[in-house]
Amino acid sequence: MTILALLSGLVAFLVVSPMFWLFWQATTVEATRAYDLVVSSRTAWITFNSITLMVLVTVFSILLGVPLAMLTTRTDLPYPRLWTIVAALPLVIPSYIGAIAFAGMFGPGGEVDTLFGATIPRVDGLSGAVLIITLYTYPYVFLTTRAALLSMDNSLVDAARTLNAGPLEAFRRVTFPQIRPGIAAGALLAALYAISDFGTPAFMQADVFTSTIYWEFSNFAVEYAALLALQLIAIVAIVLVIEAGIGRDEDVAGGTAKGSVVRLGRWKWPAMGFVSFIGFLTLVVPVAIFTNWLFRSEGDPIPSLEFQPEFAFNSVYLALLAALVACLFALPVAYYSGRSNSLVSRILERATYVGFAVPGVVIGLALVFLGTRTLPSFYREGVALLVFAYVVRFLPQAVGTVRSSVLQIDDKTIEAARTLNAGRLETFRRITLPLIMPGLIAGGVLVFLTTMKELPVTLMLQPVGMDTLVSIIWGAQDALAYRYAAVPALLLVVISGLSMLVLLRQEEV
Amino acid sequence: MHQRDDDRTQRTATGRRRFLAATGVSVAGLAGLAGCLGDDGESAGAVADVGPREASVDSEAVSWDDLGDLEGELTIYSGRTRDQIDPVFVALEEEYDGLTLNVDYDDNDVQVNQILQEGDAVAADLMYSQDPGALAELEREGAVQQLPEDVVDAVPESYREPDGYWTGVSGRVRSILYNTERWDGDGDDFPTDIMEFATDDRFEGIISTRPNSGTFRGFIQAMVELEGEEETREWVRAMVEDQDIQLFSGGSDQAEAIERGGDDDPVVALGNSYYAARILNEDPDAPIDVAFTENDPGCLFSVAGVGVTNDVGDPELVAEFVRHLLAEEGQEFMMDANGEYPVVEDVDYVGDLPDLEELEPPEFDLSDFDMDLEEAQDLLSEEGMTV
Repeated sequence: MTILALLSGLVAFLVVSPMFWLFWQATTVEATRAYDLVVSSRTAWITFNSITLMVLVTVFSILLGVPLAMLTTRTDLPYPRLWTIVAALPLVIPSYIGAIAFAGMFGPGGEVDTLFGATIPRVDGLSGAVLIITLYTYPYVFLTTRAALLSMDNSLVDAARTLNAGPLEAFRRVTFPQIRPGIAAGALLAALYAISDFGTPAFMQADVFTSTIYWEFSNFAVEYAALLALQLIAIVAIVLVIEAGIGRDEDVAGGTAKGSVVRLGRWKWPAMGFVSFIGFLTLVVPVAIFTNWLFRSEGDPIPSLEFQPEFAFNSVYLALLAALVACLFALPVAYYSGRSNSLVSRILERATYVGFAVPGVVIGLALVFLGTRTLPSFYREGVALLVFAYVVRFLPQAVGTVRSSVLQIDDKTIEAARTLNAGRLETFRRITLPLIMPGLIAGGVLVFLTTMKELPVTLMLQPVGMDTLVSIIWGAQDALAYRYAAVPALLLVVISGLSMLVLLRQEEV
Repeated sequence: MHQRDDDRTQRTATGRRRFLAATGVSVAGLAGLAGCLGDDGESAGAVADVGPREASVDSEAVSWDDLGDLEGELTIYSGRTRDQIDPVFVALEEEYDGLTLNVDYDDNDVQVNQILQEGDAVAADLMYSQDPGALAELEREGAVQQLPEDVVDAVPESYREPDGYWTGVSGRVRSILYNTERWDGDGDDFPTDIMEFATDDRFEGIISTRPNSGTFRGFIQAMVELEGEEETREWVRAMVEDQDIQLFSGGSDQAEAIERGGDDDPVVALGNSYYAARILNEDPDAPIDVAFTENDPGCLFSVAGVGVTNDVGDPELVAEFVRHLLAEEGQEFMMDANGEYPVVEDVDYVGDLPDLEELEPPEFDLSDFDMDLEEAQDLLSEEGMTV
């Protein structure tokens, strides 16, 4: 346990280290301006907006993610694997790309307007940001809830039903308490994504906390951007504490007993229609919009945006490395906090979430500083620093899933192994590891998916001249030459879809 | 007011100094470590000290044929987009077999902040930016070095840093972008004085701008210098309160909204003309056009240019590269690809935009406005024009 504690301490220290740069930067600010900045009425207003955005995205993600998870695991919906992939895939589209596509399709003057003359109310401002971010982050809730549903002992529901509980009451009294930690874990990720996102609110002209961080950043006043980022972290810390309470793990009884499924009957049509509709909005629309540009536009060629297979290779390579390292890092932290319910273990686990809640450019800049000061010869040579940056940002996704699987291990199994004279390592290798493998794979896939779409840190730390699918999509958007975004966007969706198959396959074992 | 301004100046000076000092200390401590790791951190000498390989550049149009060959590798951080500089880079790589250009694209402000954080380990040989304010920031923080004398002298003083710490490569004037189908009238129906845009009620509810861009801040700094701070504040305030100006955080987003022309989209935007050129390049029938004000901050001439970082591997190559940008072919690529104006006197402007003599943009030292960047930024925040 001591070694474990030290290892998790080390991991937590590593991923929190960029925050020291924030503190150090923040100490260089001039007090009066800093004070004005931090306590101004504008700051209060945007803080309110950011919290509203976060709360609404979280609520809607739950309202969307939980029913979809129930639908794909607990009913006789035809082709459940297909719908699972469709429901999870929006996670791979950068939300600001989704926002641009959404405006191009449904906005005034967009495709629908041009083709059918249908005027759909304009989607913008805070409500627009809530809509778009929800559509691209609810899969967090979907995936974690789904995992919880799959590992829960479903025969309990049947028991409740035989005791004359209605389906709703059975859900409320039996299913919900069991999957609550799963929902909470996904909701936390959605909440932190919402509060730290810049691109989508900026596109929607919503005034949120990250806007001011960027305002200072674009003024090259990095020290003030750092100060504001710390303020953001303070808000996030409160969220982390609250979630620690909600997601509290009354040791979830693991079990794989299959209960009966809900028969949808005629309802399966609207159900499939619902999932298709979500998939249409989130996946088909962006790809269609870009593809439309591919055929319509006739601009001068931009040589460096011309598609090359290595863009896809680079994306996959980076995402695989990030997933691997994140799993390695997540293991000690998740195991320690799952097995020992001490305050220290909880704090270390929570600490890994901080990097997820800080805007990417801020983390990127911190690592530029730390990277050039510690290992300058690796800076922008090779991908080590970049992969580390991904881990800093996305580690909590793996920690969360691994931890839930650790919680489901029955202590007695481990005790049994130990009494049979298996050493600690052997017990871990032969008993524990196989039991938490599903959690590790799920975490790895989550990190893979989000790394595939990561933009700000990639642009800052990739070896100079190395392009990925998303950096090309960005470059195309920046130059208003969307035709170059079509192929990379399509590949992004296809490759990520394939990675989902890994997740589904291991669940069937 | 004065008291506050003094504080501000002092803060910038001491705050940044202290920051640099602290950075220096940690760098010194780690320099040994870097040495052990085999990093060749040796400085190969100053760019200003190496003479041209062949011809030097001047205000007359020099041809690439007369300049020294480019051979070796250069790393360029670019805040410009790929469509703007790809053509000239590709042409250079085709011209010289031994030349490799590693170009890193990111947002302009990210690039500047990144170079400043990289300190002595800066990965870029050059920064190519569309914003004089960004290059001026690099100069203020001591992150760029002086260019060779002939390069400096080839460009008029108002298009570069006076001491040659960075130079403009191509220029543009700020413009009025508008949707030709939705604007009631044609390009001549716009006021020729930018100040009237805040008071003319034809613009109420239909005008937009992008306040977080470098050139918009330059425009505000220029307005303060020409019209005075109080008038500038009044203009910003009227734009926000009376005209209900729509604010974008991206120049491309804004231009697309103008083109799209939905009911709630703006009809008129204050921005750079190359956004319209870009949309017309993709779709020649797009309903977007540009108009200009005259002899006021609204038609501020601004440049995109380059600065050379302190520690470059091959100073001669870097210097020759910059000469190529200022030579005739380099200037022509900028005109063709971006619809920009040349900065070298004897290169004639060819394109659809009005002649500079006609617009009479006011002349400024783009790297040293009376009001500094942060004050301009604060002015915008205080008057409510933020995104």
